[in-house]
Amino acid sequence: MSPELIRLIWASTLDTLGMVAVAAAIGTLVGLPLGVFLATSRKGELFAAPAINAVLGLVVNATRSTPFIILVVAIIPFTRLVAGSSIGTAAAIVPLTVAATPFIARIVEGAIREVDQGLVEAARAMGATPLQIVRKVLIPEALPGVVLGLTLAVVSLIGYSAMVGAVGGGGLGDLGIRYGYQRFMPEVMAAVVVVLIVLVQAVQSFGDVLARRLNKRLRHS
Amino acid sequence: MNAHVKFAPAQAEPAAGEALIRFEGVSKRFAARRGQAEVRALDGIDLAVPKGAIVGVIGRSGAGKSTLIRLVNGLERPSSGSVVVDGVDVAGLDEAGLRGVRRSIGMIFQHFNLLSSRTVFDNVALPLEVAGVGKGAIRQAVEPLLELVGLSDKRDRYPAELSGGQKQRVGIARALATEPKVLLCDEATSALDPETTSSILQLLKRVNAELGITILLITHEMQVIKEICDRVAVLEGGRIVEEGGVFDVLTRPRHPTTASFLASVTGIELPPDVAGALQPAPVPGGQAVLRITFTGENATTPVISRLSTTLGIDFNILAGRIERIAGRPFGSLVVSLPGDEPGLSAAVAALGKLGLGAEVLGHVA
Repeated sequence: MSPELIRLIWASTLDTLGMVAVAAAIGTLVGLPLGVFLATSRKGELFAAPAINAVLGLVVNATRSTPFIILVVAIIPFTRLVAGSSIGTAAAIVPLTVAATPFIARIVEGAIREVDQGLVEAARAMGATPLQIVRKVLIPEALPGVVLGLTLAVVSLIGYSAMVGAVGGGGLGDLGIRYGYQRFMPEVMAAVVVVLIVLVQAVQSFGDVLARRLNKRLRHS
Repeated sequence: MNAHVKFAPAQAEPAAGEALIRFEGVSKRFAARRGQAEVRALDGIDLAVPKGAIVGVIGRSGAGKSTLIRLVNGLERPSSGSVVVDGVDVAGLDEAGLRGVRRSIGMIFQHFNLLSSRTVFDNVALPLEVAGVGKGAIRQAVEPLLELVGLSDKRDRYPAELSGGQKQRVGIARALATEPKVLLCDEATSALDPETTSSILQLLKRVNAELGITILLITHEMQVIKEICDRVAVLEGGRIVEEGGVFDVLTRPRHPTTASFLASVTGIELPPDVAGALQPAPVPGGQAVLRITFTGENATTPVISRLSTTLGIDFNILAGRIERIAGRPFGSLVVSLPGDEPGLSAAVAALGKLGLGAEVLGHVA
């Protein structure tokens, strides 16, 4: 493989990492509170707002059920509004974030719902406010599950990022399609796949280790 | 219990002085769900918890005891009636008002409800953090509490590394962190083995005696009532069917539910051969099986020998036990004697005159 190609693969890897990192960061920033709200706003819960919960749930489901490649095309006007352009690596971050946010919200919701209701009751009995219950009980107790979920989200985002070549986004997927497939360069395709495997493996291992560190439930005396 | 028990003079039941918690005409209904009728969890509850006392509410699951204890700190709201805690009707408070009251009421739970992500120290510190107490003050408050419950050496452990009894000790320390006046115990020992149960009950007793904290507990185990309570209320189908001093209620139960709870803790099992041969009707020339109960002051009277000499009846002792209930001796004795009338009736009457309980359990050939 020529040094030229190697440089190309390196640049694409950085593109992919950049897109995924930014999308995951914004997705977590928005998805975390959204997920907490989804988990605590049904009837009779801490922040009971059943109507808003239902509407948000519907929006989240709609986004989640749209195939990513269609989402990318469908929200082009929105992408242009946010990124100033609808093509390029920076623009590709918009649909990735839009896809990541509801995904992360659902993961956070699930992890929060797993927290034993007895802990919420104990916190209420101490006189904790709903916000204190979220900050001091729900999020810390749900953290190992949230970390595992975020790991899953990042792995999915790496996969999604391969599709943003459709709107001129760079990255490994785009490289694989343009060089490996359209220019008949199987060695580039193979290299792209290997790099993706290594990336996903690294992300997953990191997430697993972190979640295990955070999970104090599995300790044995 | 060994034979050399020194019987303390009978103590008076704790006077129903100033009530720290008072339920007045409290009912709680849960709205009907689809296909189900409205549930009446509690119905016309009147109950006073005297300051400094340990009061137990006993009932089977579904009797309404969980609802009852949760009314005290407003985790449940009554449908009608009032729950007055330290002069404040908690039923009339909004959530913000309740939060203030809750900080003066500690609560411990059957399943401990400790945060798995926090160490022992941080679990005990949580109510103080919630109340906005500073780090230095938290340390000063938590260390002695860990000392009190005997877990100073576990301060940096996580709940997953502790035994059930240790977890409940953390729960108790946590409940005491805000220096509450009341401690609510929701089936606090039901998940523990008998030995651990005993040690937790002793700790609660100490907390009551040393810190002067009033304790309201709910349980389905008469053993718990017997070991630490001053007063007991028996809950059945959302109503209190019997209430009073523990010694009185346990030694002279008036309601069948109370009696059924007692079967396992007071009195004695009949020897299997006697139990199997027992008949309800008198057997000509046979023997009657009699349960005699001794309470407090007359537990020491030599009644059997006196009866034998005055009535000329020979008693055959089948089983017996003396135990302490609420710190007072309570004995029960199962004897057999000739079942022929009028000798049997005379014996029962004579026992009654001596202030003893006498109950004919049945007859054997």
